[in-house]
Amino acid sequence: MPTETPLVEMKLDSETRPAVIDLLYRMADDGLIIGHRNSEWTGIGPIMEEDIAFSSVAQDKMGHALAFYNLLHEMGEPDPDQIVFCRSAAQYRCCSLVVLENFTPDAPALGPDLSNNPTRDRLVAHGDWALSLVRQFFFSEADAVRMAALAESSYAPIANIARKIRGEIKYHTMHGRGMMKHMGAASDDTRGRIQMEIDRLWPHALGIFEPTKYDKVLAAAAVTPVEEELCRRWRGDVEPLLESAGFSIPLNAKPCHGGRSGKHPPEMVSLLADLQKVARLDPGAKW
Amino acid sequence: MVAFHPNENRLNDKPGDPGYEENLAAFEARIARGDKVEPGDWMPDGYRQQLIRLIHVHANSEICGALPEGTWIPHAPSLKRKLALVAKVQDEVGHGQLLYRAAETLGKSREEMIDELIEGKAKYSNVFHYPAETWADVCVIAWLIDAAAIVNQRMMAEGSYGPYARALKRICYEEAFHLTHGYDMCISLATGSKFQRDMLQAAINRWWKPIMMFHGPSDKESKHTEQLMRWGIKLRTNDEQRQEFLKKYLPKMFNLGLTVPAEWNMKFDESTKTWTYTEPDWSEFVSVVRGNGPVSANRLETRRLSHEQGRWVREALSAAAGGRPVPMPPAEAAV
Amino acid sequence: MTDTQWPIYEVFHQSARGEPHVHVGSVHAPDGDMAVLMAKEQFARRQACVNLWVVPMEAIVSTPYEDADMFEHGTDKSYREAFGYETTKRAKAVGDTADI
Repeated sequence: MPTETPLVEMKLDSETRPAVIDLLYRMADDGLIIGHRNSEWTGIGPIMEEDIAFSSVAQDKMGHALAFYNLLHEMGEPDPDQIVFCRSAAQYRCCSLVVLENFTPDAPALGPDLSNNPTRDRLVAHGDWALSLVRQFFFSEADAVRMAALAESSYAPIANIARKIRGEIKYHTMHGRGMMKHMGAASDDTRGRIQMEIDRLWPHALGIFEPTKYDKVLAAAAVTPVEEELCRRWRGDVEPLLESAGFSIPLNAKPCHGGRSGKHPPEMVSLLADLQKVARLDPGAKW
Repeated sequence: MVAFHPNENRLNDKPGDPGYEENLAAFEARIARGDKVEPGDWMPDGYRQQLIRLIHVHANSEICGALPEGTWIPHAPSLKRKLALVAKVQDEVGHGQLLYRAAETLGKSREEMIDELIEGKAKYSNVFHYPAETWADVCVIAWLIDAAAIVNQRMMAEGSYGPYARALKRICYEEAFHLTHGYDMCISLATGSKFQRDMLQAAINRWWKPIMMFHGPSDKESKHTEQLMRWGIKLRTNDEQRQEFLKKYLPKMFNLGLTVPAEWNMKFDESTKTWTYTEPDWSEFVSVVRGNGPVSANRLETRRLSHEQGRWVREALSAAAGGRPVPMPPAEAAV
Repeated sequence: MTDTQWPIYEVFHQSARGEPHVHVGSVHAPDGDMAVLMAKEQFARRQACVNLWVVPMEAIVSTPYEDADMFEHGTDKSYREAFGYETTKRAKAVGDTADI
């Protein structure tokens, strides 16, 4: 068990308050959206055992999102369901990595007509589980780095959540590392498939750590280190893991930014259409 | 001592084999005493085949049951509903995993069972041959179909085959969450806006026929029941299970202001304390479970595609782990 | 076609320190490391757990059920049990009234 210092609550002021709120939205939206994407696989995963494991990771991430949304609500923001089901794409603060569809770019736009959910039908026929695995691996490593830092945050409510969820994230990283290690030891075809996703997702993974105008305020108040520092720590973990599994690190990648200011890949629109489909049938209803 | 290959004791297990009648009498006496049968025990081949068939169908029903609800995961209308629905569909996959494992102890591999499912050679529950058209369908499935399934599974959990009974105890425990979650969702719709109430009633109307058929043909028509009951595989008839379900859940439905379509003529007979109703057309049930239901072809195609899509992952990890072969007991009698 | 469903590992679950590991089921997994990852979510996603073991199914050696009669006692073995003695009564008779 890590020894942790007792929490002394920092008081928010007019400068730190919006910065903390922005940080919470970023983390909560990341968790919700990656959980949404991963849960698209629940019930149709590659093998039953992995279907179950991957679904738990999805649930954990949406659970983390709910914890952060609840904290936002305590700070005067709308309730979690209003936040999730009533915002437009531009109001979301998630990074592009979590938004990407579970498909390779060359996947056919439509799957066979098997249900009343075209996204799911397309996933069943053309889904790219390699992408989902590499994405979750990158994100879990980022989560581990971020929560380790936030466990020591000066803002006690965030530190409390970070300390509570670190155990779950430990499993996510064990799962991701185990899978990546095995994939690296598999056939050339498999390694090529995974390397392709590493190359494609790398700029998006770097985009998890998109700097924001609040970085300095948050760091000065010891709420969280600046994003650039977290990215450095993440690369310090991820690059040796990839190399030891026999994968190469993409060079000269330009981070994919924009999500933290509400500029998302185009698929964010269809994602929200799926996510909000039923809730918007009768706004105001309790489900 | 024996290796943990539990189904090699297949000597003389068919009618006409030397000593079969004596072994059968001892076997049936054991069941009559309430003893469980365990893998490795001598058992009549008929018992083994009936159980494999039954557990296989049950396992298939879990992983096919994950499909109608799974398609609604992305659309769940609140965060808590979304979490619960993902957990529920996950449980169904987990139940499939437990059940295929129980069937494996009788000598059939999971690969074989999944292949038979996607080739249309094995059945699954009638209710999953129908589409989930709206969110309210998800609520009705989660409440009433899980309720009907629990009636069946609680009974089967007392059955004579140890591994199946053990799997079902765990499954029943988790189904309690499913039922609560389903009832909670239906209460929300039934006490919600007119739009929600209408949506729920429409879903009940669509689902009432499959629900009435869920426990299988009336006792007058069910060909398996008698033998299954003698071997302690099944402890009550289809009609008895259906009555238990109706007695418990119809009052709850009426309490929420829901109705059953009039053509069913549901009436409670005070003298026999049973529900009477217009008998469903059981030939339709037979046709549906044979793969002629409204979305039967889509369900199997979904399972087939996801099985094929996942093949590279299964093969990649096998190769990475050095390809330890899958040890399964021999399919034929080991003498 | 070859079997792609992975070999079977038996799973043993310990609910708390001090408690025994109990067999709870099996997972299909490519190797022991992955079996642990799979077992964690299939068998410990609700129940309290502090430790899991996984064992390749074929590593288990079992007694045959048809030999279960060897566990039955053919003669009186009550001399192995505390209840097989009347020593409390006899101790009292010799003046020892404390617990034995």
